[in-house]
Amino acid sequence: MPLKHAKWITGIISLLLVFPIAIGLIGTLLPAFAYFPPLGEYDLSFSPWRDLFTQGEFYASLKLTLVTGIAAPLLALWFALSLLAWGYQRPFFRKVEVLLSPILAIPHAAIAIGLLFLLSPSGWLVRLFSPWLTGFDRPPNWISVQDPYGVSLILALVIKEMPYLLFVMLATMKSIKARESLQVGQALGYSRFTLWRKVLIPQLYPIIRLPIFIVIAFSLTVVDLALVIGPNTPSTLAVTLLRWFNDPDLSMRLMASAGAVTLMLVIVVVLAGWELSHLLFSRLTRAERSNGKRFGLTDSVLKLGVFLGMFALLNAFVALALLPIWSLTRRWRFPDALPSQWTWDNIDRATPLLMELTSNTLTIALVATIMACTISLVMLETKRHNTTGANSSKPHVFDWLIYVPILLPQIGFLFGLHVLLIYSNLNGDLCAIIALHLMYVLPYVYLTLKGPYLAYEEEYLLQANRLNHRPWRNYVLVKIAMLKPAILTAFAIGFSVSIAQYLPTLIAGEGRYSTLTTEAVAQAASGDRKQVGSMAMLQAFFPIMVFWLAQFIPPRWTRWRLVLKNLFSRRNT
Amino acid sequence: MKKSLLAASIAATFAFTSLSTQASTTETWQDTLQQAKGQTVYFNAWGGADNINDYIQWAADRVKEEYDVTLKQVKLTDTSDAVNRVLAEKAAGKNTNGSIDLIWLNGENFRAMKDNNLLFGPFSQSLPNYITYVDENARQSLTQDFGTPVDSMESPWGMAQVIFMYDTATLSNPPKSIADLLTYAKAHPGRITYPEPPQFLGSTFLKQALYELTPYRKALSQPADSVDFDKITAPLWAYLDQLHKVAWRNGQTFPSSSEEMMRLLDDQEIDVALSFDISAASVQIDKGNLPDTVRSYVFTNGTIGNTHFLAIPYNSGATAGAQVVANFMLSPEAQIKKQTPTIWGDLSVLSYAKLPAAEQAKFDALPRGIATLSIEELGQTLPEPHSSWVGALESEWRKRYAQ
Repeated sequence: MPLKHAKWITGIISLLLVFPIAIGLIGTLLPAFAYFPPLGEYDLSFSPWRDLFTQGEFYASLKLTLVTGIAAPLLALWFALSLLAWGYQRPFFRKVEVLLSPILAIPHAAIAIGLLFLLSPSGWLVRLFSPWLTGFDRPPNWISVQDPYGVSLILALVIKEMPYLLFVMLATMKSIKARESLQVGQALGYSRFTLWRKVLIPQLYPIIRLPIFIVIAFSLTVVDLALVIGPNTPSTLAVTLLRWFNDPDLSMRLMASAGAVTLMLVIVVVLAGWELSHLLFSRLTRAERSNGKRFGLTDSVLKLGVFLGMFALLNAFVALALLPIWSLTRRWRFPDALPSQWTWDNIDRATPLLMELTSNTLTIALVATIMACTISLVMLETKRHNTTGANSSKPHVFDWLIYVPILLPQIGFLFGLHVLLIYSNLNGDLCAIIALHLMYVLPYVYLTLKGPYLAYEEEYLLQANRLNHRPWRNYVLVKIAMLKPAILTAFAIGFSVSIAQYLPTLIAGEGRYSTLTTEAVAQAASGDRKQVGSMAMLQAFFPIMVFWLAQFIPPRWTRWRLVLKNLFSRRNT
Repeated sequence: MKKSLLAASIAATFAFTSLSTQASTTETWQDTLQQAKGQTVYFNAWGGADNINDYIQWAADRVKEEYDVTLKQVKLTDTSDAVNRVLAEKAAGKNTNGSIDLIWLNGENFRAMKDNNLLFGPFSQSLPNYITYVDENARQSLTQDFGTPVDSMESPWGMAQVIFMYDTATLSNPPKSIADLLTYAKAHPGRITYPEPPQFLGSTFLKQALYELTPYRKALSQPADSVDFDKITAPLWAYLDQLHKVAWRNGQTFPSSSEEMMRLLDDQEIDVALSFDISAASVQIDKGNLPDTVRSYVFTNGTIGNTHFLAIPYNSGATAGAQVVANFMLSPEAQIKKQTPTIWGDLSVLSYAKLPAAEQAKFDALPRGIATLSIEELGQTLPEPHSSWVGALESEWRKRYAQ
């Protein structure tokens, strides 16, 4: 990119990112120590902490958060590695890869709503087998969703996280030379799973460490998913905190702030613990990895992971298939396997609302994602300049800064940030929502784009410039054009991240701008499955569409362009 | 002479003031109407029910054509979000042009706003429709919102009462008291539940149960911290301990709202659903969400009822527009529409006796949905305990059952 002041621009962007986070953190930290002017609290003290530690619900919530927040990424990682080891480079795995992007694209709330339809005692699974097999004329009194152990929440988290990890892993396959290692290893007589276990996974892990951290932080702090499918007596810590922040007894906010600070500390502790466990684990297994055995008993762990991973994926697809059915239902009573009366009414009735929600959702997502792509390109360009110089692989400070928003619990600083928005008169403004979305979209876009962009063979561009010195034109027509698939993928990921945002939209928009997600989560509680079905379906539709386009356009682009060009040149002559 | 002159002038001043106040009420209202023209009123209201949202949209169309006031509903999942927002604005020193102009609220949210000086007013007693049609003596809840004096700081909008719903196809004789409910639950494990506190209907269920179980009913109208809370509520917790053992999902999970309860009733997961909306069953049958064999009923000894209100935050930038909307909501036209069972079915706050004959006839002619109870069938309305009981019951409930 022929930018003269790229360094300055990235500096300013980093500052712009740090500023709201810092303000948000201060806005949470001060009330945690009982400094909160609007309630007339000016004296710093530890009383919010004392209140917090006497709350039984805090400990119960914390326990549940730790269980679900650690189990889910652990399982997701296990399943993702297993599926990758099992299927990498096999022809039919390409098809699974194609199926991944819809799940990657679908907002968490939509998945959770679909799973509720599927798994609850009056859900589709029980309906399918009732009463002819189970003998149930009425739904059994099971706790198969919103269970107090968080099993259904873990399942929902795994379904959402596993495809993301798999996606990230697939992107790194080239850089660890997976194909070559596999060929060599198999020639030496090692089994497929053994090779992955001994050679590839240990190489892969350090590269995908950051995405794993993101997944862990997400599992520990997610609000919308836990609201829909998580248990509520107690709820996870993030949901409990949300309730405290919203309590009509305004003094609860002080305790809630202390809780939010605790949640941040929990993330740090869990991440540190995770790293330590990894170190310990790799040290313990080092000898085993190089003992030369061609097969191993632990390979079956990966085999089991394949089976369970496939099962989780299947769940996700059935759950999603149920959404459109509900939106066309008039009567669908237990134990019918399909609706007894169909209707267009739900969609008709919801249409005006859906139009408004859709336009809000798309405006926010498109603007935020386009901005994120542009910023990422500028930042990566500075990085490329740096890496070609003497101080090569030294990570720039913004490499870490942009991950801060997604590693911190949203609930921790968004409430603090809200006050800043009000001060600057930006509350309830579309710009504020887009800015907050950008904060969450940017890291994902940057992360997705980083590998391909830095790996780009700069010679093409240099050559083009030597032939015809029009730096901007060549940058766009040569470099960007060649990076098209990567940029479109990054765009699709950013887009789906934006569509899924719940809390930032709610807080910055003050409810004046509803999106498909805020409405779907709000309505999920109302239990009107028909309306929630159409809402969630539409919520899932756009990201899937964009993902599909991101895969569909690049290979055909050149052909289309040439056809168009021919058309025009023929007309000119 | 001097004295009498003085007296006369004082008397005259009094006379003038009283005259001018009377003149100024109508005059002020004209001013208010004038100011309201072109204003946009952001109405923060719970947005969880389609039919209510549709009604608000209808009202928005009407105030637009009649008063040139734009009414925009901001759909809340929880009214306390709006209270919080006003607080956050106060924190940031945003004392004018706040983001909220009108809130639909009652009970503890009203008390929180009133106590923290977050409300505009007094205004409701000077609304023309309030003066003409509302009889403050008709119901205690018109002047005492969960025990907090209204003091004209909020304008009544509708009345609600707890009703129960059951499917006549599966249940012939529904349990008609809190004690019966437990007996029924023991005989049919897993079929009885109630919404999770602090959801307002869940808290109301606790209050209903407490009212029927405690021997110290009178104490409920006192602030909860001024009485022996443990002694008064002991029978309630003993009752719930028994109920949860035989409740839906063993009392480990609770439905999140009345709407979810109705879905569970439709799926036959549970046998009795609750609502604060007397025509909920008719509306849901009409939408295909409940079988047409569902009927409503109330407990033999009455159920809790209350009034819900509209309030204006202190920093609203459209107080005139907000008052015009609140006044329109009190018009016979709006109240009749609201009480229509297929539209909302919410009970009117207007005094029947104060209405002109033509409007009375319209109220008389209102159809009733097949599952809606008549005013007589609704029976006795139990008063809400003092609003401090909500928080006290909720936190005790969460301490006992949410850990």
